Amino acid sequence: MAEERLATRTPFPASAESQKPRLKKAQEFPILEKQNWLIHLHYIRKDYEACKAVIKEQLQETQGLCEYAIYVQALIFRLEGNIQESLELFQTCAVLSPQCADNLKQVARSLFLLGKHKAAIEVYNEAAKLNQTDWEICHNLGVCYIYLKQFKKAQEQLHNALHLNRHDLTYIMLGKIHLLEGDLDKAIEIYKKAVEFSPENTELLTTLGLLYLQLGIYQKAFEHLGNALTYDPTNYKAILAAGSMMQTHGDFDVALTKYRVVACAVPESPPLWNNIGMCFFGKKKYVAAISCLKRANYLAPFDWKILYNLGLVHLTMQQYASAFHFLSAAINFQPKMGELYMLLAVALTNLEDPENAKRAYAEAVRLDKCNPLVNLNYAVLLYNQGEKQGALAQYQEMEKKVHLLQDSTSLEFDAEMVDMAQKLGAALQVGEALVWTKPVKDTKSKHRTTSTSKAASLQQPLGSNQALGQAMSSAAAYGKLPSGAGGTSHLTKPPSLPLEPQPTVEAHPNEESAQIREK
Amino acid sequence: MAAASSSDSDCGRAESNEASSKWLDAHYDPVANIHTFSSCLALADLHGDGEYKLVVGDLGPGGQHPRLKVLKGPTVLTESPLPALPAAAATFLMEQHEPRTPALALASGPCVYVYKNLRPYFKFSLPQLPPNPLEQDLWNQAKEDRIDPLTLKEMLEGIREKAEVPLSVQSLRFLQLELSEMEAFVSQHKSKSIKRQTVITTMTTLKKNLADEDAVSCLVLGTENKELLVLDPEAFIILAKMSLPSVPVFLDVSGQFDVEFRLAAACRNGNIYILRRDSKRPKYCIELSAQPVGLVRVHKVLVVGSTQDSLHGFTHKGKKLWTVQMPAAILTMNLLEQHSRGLQAVMAGLANGEVRIYRDKTLLNVIRTPDAVTSLCFGRYGREDNTLIMTTRGGGLIIKILKRTAVFVEGGGEAGPPPAQALKLNVPRKTRLYVDQTLREREAGTAMHRTFQTDLYLLRLRTARAYVQALESSLNPVSVTAREPLKLHAVVQGLGPTFKLTLHLQNTSAARPILGLLVCFLYNEVLYALPRAFFKVPLLVPGLSYPLETFVESLSDKGISDMIKVLVLREGQSAPLLSAHINMPVSEGLAAA
Repeated sequence: MAEERLATRTPFPASAESQKPRLKKAQEFPILEKQNWLIHLHYIRKDYEACKAVIKEQLQETQGLCEYAIYVQALIFRLEGNIQESLELFQTCAVLSPQCADNLKQVARSLFLLGKHKAAIEVYNEAAKLNQTDWEICHNLGVCYIYLKQFKKAQEQLHNALHLNRHDLTYIMLGKIHLLEGDLDKAIEIYKKAVEFSPENTELLTTLGLLYLQLGIYQKAFEHLGNALTYDPTNYKAILAAGSMMQTHGDFDVALTKYRVVACAVPESPPLWNNIGMCFFGKKKYVAAISCLKRANYLAPFDWKILYNLGLVHLTMQQYASAFHFLSAAINFQPKMGELYMLLAVALTNLEDPENAKRAYAEAVRLDKCNPLVNLNYAVLLYNQGEKQGALAQYQEMEKKVHLLQDSTSLEFDAEMVDMAQKLGAALQVGEALVWTKPVKDTKSKHRTTSTSKAASLQQPLGSNQALGQAMSSAAAYGKLPSGAGGTSHLTKPPSLPLEPQPTVEAHPNEESAQIREK
Repeated sequence: MAAASSSDSDCGRAESNEASSKWLDAHYDPVANIHTFSSCLALADLHGDGEYKLVVGDLGPGGQHPRLKVLKGPTVLTESPLPALPAAAATFLMEQHEPRTPALALASGPCVYVYKNLRPYFKFSLPQLPPNPLEQDLWNQAKEDRIDPLTLKEMLEGIREKAEVPLSVQSLRFLQLELSEMEAFVSQHKSKSIKRQTVITTMTTLKKNLADEDAVSCLVLGTENKELLVLDPEAFIILAKMSLPSVPVFLDVSGQFDVEFRLAAACRNGNIYILRRDSKRPKYCIELSAQPVGLVRVHKVLVVGSTQDSLHGFTHKGKKLWTVQMPAAILTMNLLEQHSRGLQAVMAGLANGEVRIYRDKTLLNVIRTPDAVTSLCFGRYGREDNTLIMTTRGGGLIIKILKRTAVFVEGGGEAGPPPAQALKLNVPRKTRLYVDQTLREREAGTAMHRTFQTDLYLLRLRTARAYVQALESSLNPVSVTAREPLKLHAVVQGLGPTFKLTLHLQNTSAARPILGLLVCFLYNEVLYALPRAFFKVPLLVPGLSYPLETFVESLSDKGISDMIKVLVLREGQSAPLLSAHINMPVSEGLAAA
């Protein structure tokens, strides 16, 4: 307890100030931690220039002994991207005070950022010996294990971290592990708990919403996405996902207003422009749709979904030659999707190349498992080509798929498709389709006035489904979730079918498609 | 107080015009030369005349000339230099006697300087920390010359590795020395007793035994060695000592020392510890996972700003209540208390030059300032009850007065859909040409498609032919034969008439060197002259690129250029392995002449 009365008259004179340092250097050492508080205050205010100036001064005065100054210098280096330098400084700190777990933690963190996960784990384990109740160590160990793909160990560490102290970040990482393992249900379980713990975290809410969307639980998905948007009305992911759900329900105008917010915040997002394009498509503004889709395609030239949509819109616009190019590009990126081959076949049919159209249909039928449209269109082509046998086989195949779909879901069939199928059935002289009796009743109520073209009969169901799939998986891809909708197998070998059909001159004009419609 | 000068720019977003603004602009001096933190600002009636003054512990520009400034209205009343940088300033009542003028405490380094009536009154120094007994012992031995410097160094290093109590500066310095300097150092310093001194990082006040506005208060100090000290206001002895797991940065206290109090300390490890009376160790802990940048208590809610640009609300037991995201980094925070309306709110100065006022998570008001605000203080100033004092990053001082008619209502800030929703989408327009082409495609789609396919096949055919031809005649610059995998590329430098031709020859095989290659140039001898048209290539080590240089003299003065063919041959074989055609540039040297 040092007490001393100051001379009341002279308030800590300035002259003393100049003498002090010189006197001290000969006899006493400055206090090492003298300006730590100032360094810290500058650091948390992100005023790194001022911070560095104080650090430099402090290190000069203490001849490099001030541990905290080195520590903050290292933190700043790391923020500036000089990870190797920061690592060296942290190691210096660890030498200066070997008993401090914090220094080791930072050494490990720098190692982690350098991608040396194994080394980082070793250092974290060292740190864990010094401090056993630190959630951060457990959490980071877990993250390291994720990068090493040791999910069991990662889970164990992350659960430890949650046990010590609950943090949103730990929940997110844990959820990610489950997603990487492909276990959606468990991931949802984790995210549910996380949302319970921190109900206002928009990232958690959005991720949970997207997961529900992936599972097709639309009610809950919308609820969570809506919550996320109330807390943060400019959340990119949530708006995109919610917008795509609105699109499925035909609320194109509402979706478009929502997209405006994103267009302001992230103007170069390919999924955004794709969705906007499909909104215009839904509103029958085809030129605007093509403009937006082309922008999306410019921003993400390798995204097959955008190419698919472009193909679809061009088919609608009767620009078959352009449609062919977009679709064949899409197939190059995604050779495993039946619908793509079907659209290609439609384009080829209209380009008067039925031989290649048939081959495309054959591939589509081979790949597709549940879409009756594929078979129906194939049957129509075969019928037009005069191959009644083949057409009949496809027609029956279609009926099978329809039965399956009716059993499993309460999906309503597109009116135009039903109409076409009935006409074809009559033409093929199959017994008047019993299959359709029920759905026809349902669909009549929502019968649309259609400008019938054959391609148009395809677009509606696909278009909207596609837009949904697109929005979902692209938003999901943004959040580094594995997209369930496909697109993972980009690097598979090219399709066996030649995508550039030979320009064999087909003599027969196929006008029968028109006939069928007239029947 | 100066009359409100009407200004136009710095009103909140909610209020577009001066008339509806809640604030009067009393004073703005962009060059007031005040550089400080919120913790170093205090408002108090220092002279007991009912005129409140502003006390500023000024760090000076660049932290060079620390000063204590006292401001009255817009002018500096007194200014005195400080011996070290001030960490915190606080005003408090020391005793019950009349006149009840508050004392001013200024924490700086290891001391608290107490002023009364703006005159130095008392200096409190933190007690010395106990040195490590082993270390003490070693230095005692050194003093009696019973230990040589080398052993001393080893022993001290041993202590540093393991001991709980850190070494003194003297020992740390000693450990850094070279062998030759040790002797001198020991003889110079051995007679001194070793000291460990800590410094104050933060300071606040705590009512002693009464909750009244003008009750005697204790000082609460946070120190660099992770302790909290409560000082008696009269005798300046340490009443209580509490230890924390980390170094405190911000403190917030409520209650009375003699009755019951709660102490929240935001620490450097990103945690906030909550202590109560009679607890020597923290009772609750809030882990932020980011650094706290401010700590303010509003009624019973602890509001913490974090480096992740967000404000969090916590209960006094550490349960998270809410989070609000800020548009920019938070620089400083303080409490806004309007006694007349019983309002308490949090002010946060942001890096984008806004000051936002929040009650819980609802935004009440936004003040735009010309520069980022780095310290904030609200209270009675002069004779005006509700004054907001702000200092900016560039050293400016802004004083605003809250209008007496002003009522903060919820939704005073942003509400409803984000403004971006009203903007029109920027959909790319399509030209007339595009529409025409679309129509053309509709009409002649099939023909276009067929033409395209035919051309595509022709193109492929030609490419394939050219490729085969190149392979057959070794025209390609990369040889892929099993024996001599080689790569060649040539560079021509110079303006002429003399050019330098550099061939880069690389052996791309994994391990095998290549021997016995020849290089031959074929050229028109009328146009060009080369010193050697044919030479041997040295042994090519795998992986390295060998530059082979030769000069080319252009002989023509007509500005014609020609091709030079480079052939790489194997000894004894007439067919070249590689060849390159170099299109020589026109000699500019001659063209100019």
